[in-house]
Amino acid sequence: MAQGSSKKVITKEDWEKRLNDVKIRKEDMNKLVMNFLVTEGFVDAAEKFRKESGTEPDIDLSTITDRMAVKKAVQCGNVEDAIEKVNDLNPEILDTNPQLFFHLQQQRLIELIRNGKVEEALEFAQEELAPRGEENQSFLEELERTVALLAFEDVSNCPVGDLLDMSQRLKTASEVNAAILTSQSHEKDPKLPSLLKMLVWAQNQLDEKAIYPRIKDLSTAKLEDPSAS
Amino acid sequence: MPSASPSTSSGRPADLVSRLASPDRGARLRALRELKNQIIGNRTKKLAYLKLGAVPAVAAVLADASDDGGGDGDGSCCCRRHDLLVQSAAALGSFACGVDAGVRAVVDAGALPWLRRLLVSPDEKVVDSGARSLKMIYQSKLAPKYDFLDHQNLEFLLSLLNSKNDNVTGLGASIITHSCQTSAEQWALYEAGVFQKLVDLIGGSVSQRDASLESLTAIIRNNHEVTPKILEFENGRALNLIIKFTIDKSPRTRLLACACLIAVSKTSSRYVEGIELESKLIYRLLELLEDPGQVGDEASFALSSLIEEKEDLQKLAFEANAINKLCFHLQNGLSCPKRLQGILLALANICSKLEICRSKLLDLQAFDLVSDALRHDCTDIRVAACICLRSLSRSVKNLSAGYFMNETVIIPLLQLLHDPSISVQLAALGAISNIVIDFTRRKSNFIHCGGVKLLAELSMAMDPVVRSHSLRALKNLTFLADRKCKEVVLSEITASSLASLIRDPESAVQEQALALVRNLVDGCVQSVDYAFTENGIILDAIGRQLQYASKAEIGIQGMYALSNIASGSKVQKDAVMDQLFQHGGMNTQPFIMRFLHSNDNQLRTASIWVLINLTTSYCPGAAGRVLKLRNAGIILQLKSMTNDPCLDVKVVQKIYHLNVH
Repeated sequence: MAQGSSKKVITKEDWEKRLNDVKIRKEDMNKLVMNFLVTEGFVDAAEKFRKESGTEPDIDLSTITDRMAVKKAVQCGNVEDAIEKVNDLNPEILDTNPQLFFHLQQQRLIELIRNGKVEEALEFAQEELAPRGEENQSFLEELERTVALLAFEDVSNCPVGDLLDMSQRLKTASEVNAAILTSQSHEKDPKLPSLLKMLVWAQNQLDEKAIYPRIKDLSTAKLEDPSAS
Repeated sequence: MPSASPSTSSGRPADLVSRLASPDRGARLRALRELKNQIIGNRTKKLAYLKLGAVPAVAAVLADASDDGGGDGDGSCCCRRHDLLVQSAAALGSFACGVDAGVRAVVDAGALPWLRRLLVSPDEKVVDSGARSLKMIYQSKLAPKYDFLDHQNLEFLLSLLNSKNDNVTGLGASIITHSCQTSAEQWALYEAGVFQKLVDLIGGSVSQRDASLESLTAIIRNNHEVTPKILEFENGRALNLIIKFTIDKSPRTRLLACACLIAVSKTSSRYVEGIELESKLIYRLLELLEDPGQVGDEASFALSSLIEEKEDLQKLAFEANAINKLCFHLQNGLSCPKRLQGILLALANICSKLEICRSKLLDLQAFDLVSDALRHDCTDIRVAACICLRSLSRSVKNLSAGYFMNETVIIPLLQLLHDPSISVQLAALGAISNIVIDFTRRKSNFIHCGGVKLLAELSMAMDPVVRSHSLRALKNLTFLADRKCKEVVLSEITASSLASLIRDPESAVQEQALALVRNLVDGCVQSVDYAFTENGIILDAIGRQLQYASKAEIGIQGMYALSNIASGSKVQKDAVMDQLFQHGGMNTQPFIMRFLHSNDNQLRTASIWVLINLTTSYCPGAAGRVLKLRNAGIILQLKSMTNDPCLDVKVVQKIYHLNVH
C-alpha cells in the first residue's frame, strides 16, 4: 500500500485512459524511425521502410551507403581504406577536422601494432603521428599514450592496452560517422534518444508529485502497476 | 625529429611528383590520388610537396584534362577525364586549405580560371570539387581580390548564389566575405540584390547559413547607407532572423550572428536601441567564451569590437561579470595563443575608460598574469599585454600609489623597447607613457632600470611614430619631475639632439619635443637654465621652429615652453625677446603676432602668457621689452583682444593688463 505520502495516486486504468486521449500522428513516428535508420546508417532497412511506408528520408540514401562503407572500414581496422573513402566523399572533412584526422592516424598505428608490425609502426609513428603533435600541441598527451604501446612487450596487458580494444575502433568509427553527417548538413545524432531522455526526465519530475504507472523498461515501454512495489 | 620528406609505399615523393607528368593518363590519375590522400589533413606533407613543385604539376594536369575535348571514343576515357578533373581540383583545394604558401602556389600556377570552369560542368561531382577548392582559396587573404564593380563579375557571383548546389552558394558567400571592402562595393552588391539572396540562404542548411551570416556582415560593415536598407527590408525580417540565430544550437552560428549584429550596432545604433540588443550580445559572447575551440578563441575579439570606445557598453559588460570570466580564463592557463591574445585585448578594452573595471581586475590578482604575458613568445600577445597595461595604468589612483613603478613591470617593458617588432615597441611605449606619470616620485626606479637611456635612444629611431611616442613618454616622465630626474633626461637625450628633434621633419615629433622642453623648463626657476645648455641651442631651435610652424599644436607647445622660459631672469627674458624678433627677416611678421590672430583658442592664450611673463612690471628690463613690443604693434593687438570670444583668452588678457599697469 502507498505510504502516508501526499502524492496523488493514479491507477493504471486511469492512466491508460488518459494516454488514449493523446493523439500521435503516424507520419511523425515514421519520420522518427526513418531518421534513426538514416543516422545510424541502416541503408537497406531505410530503403525498405521508405518503400513500405512511403516516408521520404531527409537525406539522399546513396550517401548513406558511402558513409557506411567508411564506418565499416574503420570497424574492421582498414583505416587507410577508410581515409581514402572519406577523401573521395568529401576532401574537406579531414582537412578541416584535425582531431578526427589525428584519431584516424592513431588508429592506423594501433592496427599496425596489433598485427605485430613493429618496425613499420615505429616508422609510421615517427613520420605520420609525430608531426601531428608538432602541428597541434593539444594532441601531445594522446600521442604519448599511443606511442607508449610500442614500449611494451605484452601490449594487451599494458596500462594503455585499452587502445587495442574493439571499443577504440568503434569510438573512431563513430567520430568519422558524425563528421560525415555534419559535412552533409545533417544532424549527427538521431532524434529518438532525445525523446526517450525527455521521457525519463519527465517521469523523474512527476515522481516527486504523483504515483503513477511508470515505464521502467524503455525497450518494452511496459507500464508498471503503481500498486506494486 | 622526424624528417619532413614523406616516403610512400610506391617510392619517393619526388617520384610521385614526376609521375604527375606521365604521358599515361591512368598513371597520372593514380599519382594524383596518392598525392591527394597523402596531403589531406597533413600540413607537414603539404609544405614538403609544395617545395617539390607539386602544385604547378597538378595545375598542369587540371589544365590538360579541362582542355581535352575529344578522346579515344571509349567510355573509359571520359570517365578518366572526369576523375582527373575531380582529383586534381581536390588536391589543389587541399594545398590551399589553411596553408598560405599553398594558396600562393595555386594562384601563381594560374589554376584559378581552370577551377572556375569546373563550376559550369554538367557533372555534379566536378562542380562540387571545383567549388570546394575555390572556397578554400577564398578563405585566405592571399586569394586575388574579386572586383564586384565589374558587371560580368557581379553576374557570375549572382549565378553562384542562385545555384542549387550547397558548395557553389557557399563559394559565392566566401567570395563576398573575402573581397567586399569598400562602400562602393557594398552598395553595388546591395543594388544587385545580393543581400536578399543571402537572407534567403540564412534559412538554408547549416553551412549556407553560416556562410551567409559572414557575408552579410561584410556588406553591412561601416556602411550607413546599405545597413538601414537591409534592416528595414520586409519590416525587419532580416534583423529578426539574425537575432534568432544568436541562440542557435551551433556555437559557430551564434558567434557569426553576434558578429553580424555587432556590425549593425556599430553602423546604425538606432536599430539596437530599445531592444537591449547590446546587453544580450554581451551575455551571448561571454557564454561563447566557454567554447573550447576556435569559436571560444574568436568570441573575445568580438567582445572587444563591441565594447571598444563605448563606456556605456563597458559598464554593461562589467555588470555582466565579464572581468571575472575573462580573468578566470586567463588564470586557467591558455594553450592557444590566439585565445590569450583575445582575452588580453578584451580586458584592455573593458578597462580602457572605467576605474571600477581596472580596480576589479587588480582585486582579482590578475595583474601578474598580464605582466607575465609581456615575455610571451608570440608577438601579438606581447602587444596585447602592453595595450592591457596601458589601459590599467590609466588608473590615477594606482599611479598615485606607485603600483606600476616596480621592477616586475618596468624591466620586461623596457626589454620590449628592443623588440624586433615595431608594433611591440609602440605598444610598450604606450604603456610606459602612462606609467611614468608616477606621482609618488619613484621615478628613480625607472631611471635605474635604464629607462631614460632607452627612451632617448628610441627618440632617434628611424620610424617617426617611434620617435614621437618615445618623446611623449619622456615628456610624461618629466612632468612635475625633480631636478635629478630632469638632469638625467637632458644628459641622456642631449641638448643638441633635442634641438634637432624640435626641427624634425615630422610634425608629431616636433610637437612632442617642444612639449618635453616645456616640461623640462617648468617648475622652479633653475629649470629655465636647461633651455640655455650648449649655448642656448634649444631656445634657438624653438624660435626657428615657431617661425615656420603651420600647425596650431606646435605653436601651443612652443609658446608654453617660451612662457616658462620667460619666467626666468632678465637675461633669459631678453633672450626670449630675441627669439620673437630675430627670425624671419625684415618683412615677415613676428610669429607671435600671427599666433595672436590665430583661430585656435589655446594658441592665443599661450601667446598672451608669453607676453605676461615678458612684461611683468617688477622685473628689470620690463620697460624696454614693453617698448619693443609696442613698436611692433603687439600691445595694440593685445588691447584689441578685450572682447575675444574665448573666455580663457579674455581672462589672460585681463591678467596681462593687471601685470603691466
